[in-house]
Amino acid sequence: MLDPDQGLRILDCKATDHDYLHKDFHGALCYGIKYLDDHYGHEATAEFLRQVGRSYYAPLSQQLKEDGLSALEKHWREVFTKEGGRLSLEFQDGVLTLMVHECPAIAHLKKTNRLFTPRYCETTVVVNEAICGAAGYKSSCQYEPGEGRCVQKFWKTKE
Amino acid sequence: MISCTEFIPAYSELFKFLEAQGGKEAVVKFWESLSDEFLTNLRDLAATRGLAGCFEYWSHTLREEAADFRMTLDEKNGTFEIDMRHCPSRGRLNESKHIEPYEHYCEHCDVLYRRVLEPFGFKFNIDLSTCKDATCKLTVEKSLPNKKSTVTGS
Repeated sequence: MLDPDQGLRILDCKATDHDYLHKDFHGALCYGIKYLDDHYGHEATAEFLRQVGRSYYAPLSQQLKEDGLSALEKHWREVFTKEGGRLSLEFQDGVLTLMVHECPAIAHLKKTNRLFTPRYCETTVVVNEAICGAAGYKSSCQYEPGEGRCVQKFWKTKE
Repeated sequence: MISCTEFIPAYSELFKFLEAQGGKEAVVKFWESLSDEFLTNLRDLAATRGLAGCFEYWSHTLREEAADFRMTLDEKNGTFEIDMRHCPSRGRLNESKHIEPYEHYCEHCDVLYRRVLEPFGFKFNIDLSTCKDATCKLTVEKSLPNKKSTVTGS
């Protein structure tokens, strides 16, 4: 920054100067879900989320297929570590259970007053189903809208 | 939860999905709505602090997005510029080999920010001619009473 007295300010940053973590993106996604619901209906929103699950998360589905549920455990631990959320994971009788005690997305949406729709958590429900479906797995997610807590379960489909 | 670090590909897929529903017009309508309803923080800063508000807004967002850029605020001459040397959003899309970025992805910045800033009387311009290489240049100009006009009369 230079010479503020003359009204001149400069900010020069390299990509490596900061960590990539822009939580306001949760708000933009939340707005997108509300927009799709309002303009195209709930089924269109679900189809969009399935598209995200099948396309962007295809490598995660592939890892799930190859490595089993440990791939999802690794994924969720990484996401929650980066975002500063609180979770616990347990594996029992072939079921991976993810207990979210504090969802970092909901916490940020509430803090910034950007929880545009109570249906935001459908992103988790539908994207998980798409990721798992492509790998021969199933998932469930129990949540109360806007609470920031949920229980997600993952298991292999019986052949 | 889609992590905020995974949002950009989802955003690009949303634009593709909307285009499949109603053409590019449907995508632009969404951008306009997002600008009106979501960019209230930029709108408030621009309303109260003018170009300095723009500097404040993008100082925060571009640092969180780990962008490679040079941003200049010249209040004396009424200009604000962002020289984006590597856009983190477009860069991430380019790096993701298994997904194709939405064809008009970078145009969302033009629609979103122009719609916020022009009603305040700012002249907004964004050069997206090299945006597919994750670079662009954004300029916001304020009309100053003593600023020489670039328009010449006959």
